[in-house]
Amino acid sequence: MKELILISIGIGIKSLIFIIGMFLLAAYLTLIERKFAGHVQQRPGPLHVGFHGLLQPIADALKVLTKEDIVPNFVDKYLFYLASLMAFVPAIMILAVIPFGEPINIFGYEIKPYISDVNVGLILALAFGSISIYGVIFAGWASNSKYPMIGGLRKAAVLIGYEVALGFALVGPIMLAGTFSLREIVEAQQGFFGAFIWYQPLAFIVFLFSILAETGRTPFDVQEAEAELVAGYNTEYSGMKFGLFPLAEWYIATFVLSAIAVILFFGGWNGPHIFGPISPYIWFLAKLFLVFMFLLWVHWTLPRYRVDQITEIAWKVMLPLTFINIFITAIIVIIKG
Amino acid sequence: MVKVKYVARPKLSNMERIFFIDFIHGLKTTFKNLLRKTITTRYPYEKLTPPKRFRGTHAHRVKDGKEPPSFVVLEKFMEIHEGESRCVACYMCQQACPIPSLFRIEAEQLPNGKKRVTRFDMNLLNCLYCGLCVDACPVDCIIMTDEFENASDKRADCVIHMDDMCERGVSFDRRRYNEPDRIWIDDKAREKLWGQIKWTYTQ
Repeated sequence: MKELILISIGIGIKSLIFIIGMFLLAAYLTLIERKFAGHVQQRPGPLHVGFHGLLQPIADALKVLTKEDIVPNFVDKYLFYLASLMAFVPAIMILAVIPFGEPINIFGYEIKPYISDVNVGLILALAFGSISIYGVIFAGWASNSKYPMIGGLRKAAVLIGYEVALGFALVGPIMLAGTFSLREIVEAQQGFFGAFIWYQPLAFIVFLFSILAETGRTPFDVQEAEAELVAGYNTEYSGMKFGLFPLAEWYIATFVLSAIAVILFFGGWNGPHIFGPISPYIWFLAKLFLVFMFLLWVHWTLPRYRVDQITEIAWKVMLPLTFINIFITAIIVIIKG
Repeated sequence: MVKVKYVARPKLSNMERIFFIDFIHGLKTTFKNLLRKTITTRYPYEKLTPPKRFRGTHAHRVKDGKEPPSFVVLEKFMEIHEGESRCVACYMCQQACPIPSLFRIEAEQLPNGKKRVTRFDMNLLNCLYCGLCVDACPVDCIIMTDEFENASDKRADCVIHMDDMCERGVSFDRRRYNEPDRIWIDDKAREKLWGQIKWTYTQ
């Protein structure tokens, strides 16, 4: 009994650290994105709040939190409030199963840099990702307005297509590793040429497309195509309820899915031990940062696909590609034993 | 009759389709731009001087001996002293204006039979800065200056009057009357923003 209480306290503290850390990180990811987008367009981005805009996220957070929160008259109030949470909570829940490194010993205590190591971690991550679709659809429906409605339905169409492709893309690495646990998948990829990207390039490409579609980044950002729909499904939102959507979708979801990409394809925290005991964390975060920056790079380069083109790519190109990938992987696994 | 020319979409080769060649071209372009220097000005701390023909806040030229001949003809009917606005209240600017109601021009006849302009107000909230009034002016009186910071928190401040227009015109002429009329003051300022121009013919 005493042990159970201790474990739950430990997990509670750990979750708090993860959630607060994720909030701060997401705030600063906005700054990174704004700086990057600015320099791609040959402008400096935030510059005046703090040194080169370093305090800009804090100023933005204060502004968004203190803004008037308008709820339009004819919205479905319950769903309207629920939608912002439904979009945000599942996105941050995926963090529960993501391992950031191996367990380490500090002063005799074993500290695990992950909240839980479930043996179906990957499936949980997929499930949470699917729940966040509801947030978008609810937001579109509850707003009782045409632009959010169109945006929500577009996002739903895109997500349904790419969830399937994403799920099948993950099958390849799972077959190679023989497990669903994210920690064991990392342990299965030892050495530079052990990373699954060398064996699963097709799966990686499909996974990359799916990340872009799931997180609503270009070329798949039809749900908030600001030239066509005002802001997509969050048009009627304001204040922090509005802030939660981009935070959840553009930053937390992108971050978490990049983490899964690193774990599945880039060998997670494996790397030469050149930074002493903290080198696994440094390797993991460095890989994560590179993948995230690559997604930003793609976002600020490409124009937008049409809705029908996006769903066409999902069902006609990406899904067959994953099937081919699974087939080839299965044959190789059978031959090699 | 207008003829429509249909252009076929360029076909992608299979290499381009499979290896995302055009994606990579785009990524290369953005990466090149990422490394280039920014071209923005840090506005409140660093201000560009607009070119002389910039269409900023309106101003009146005053009678200072540089008038066109048309003014000399009209002058004998007018009561205008040295250093006062050249305006002859001909209403040409109002005629040319797309929103004529923004002008309020009034003149009176003095006992000696001469005409005197008593009021020349412009409501710049309605102005679209097209510059047609400048072209219409027969005595080269109304001009547009290089001042562009005319925002205010009171509507009354956005209406300009004859006396402050005269002041603005005097200061504009003092600063920039002798300047050559070209878009960029010097080639260096232009090249900083737009790069070197390569003419197809030799000058």
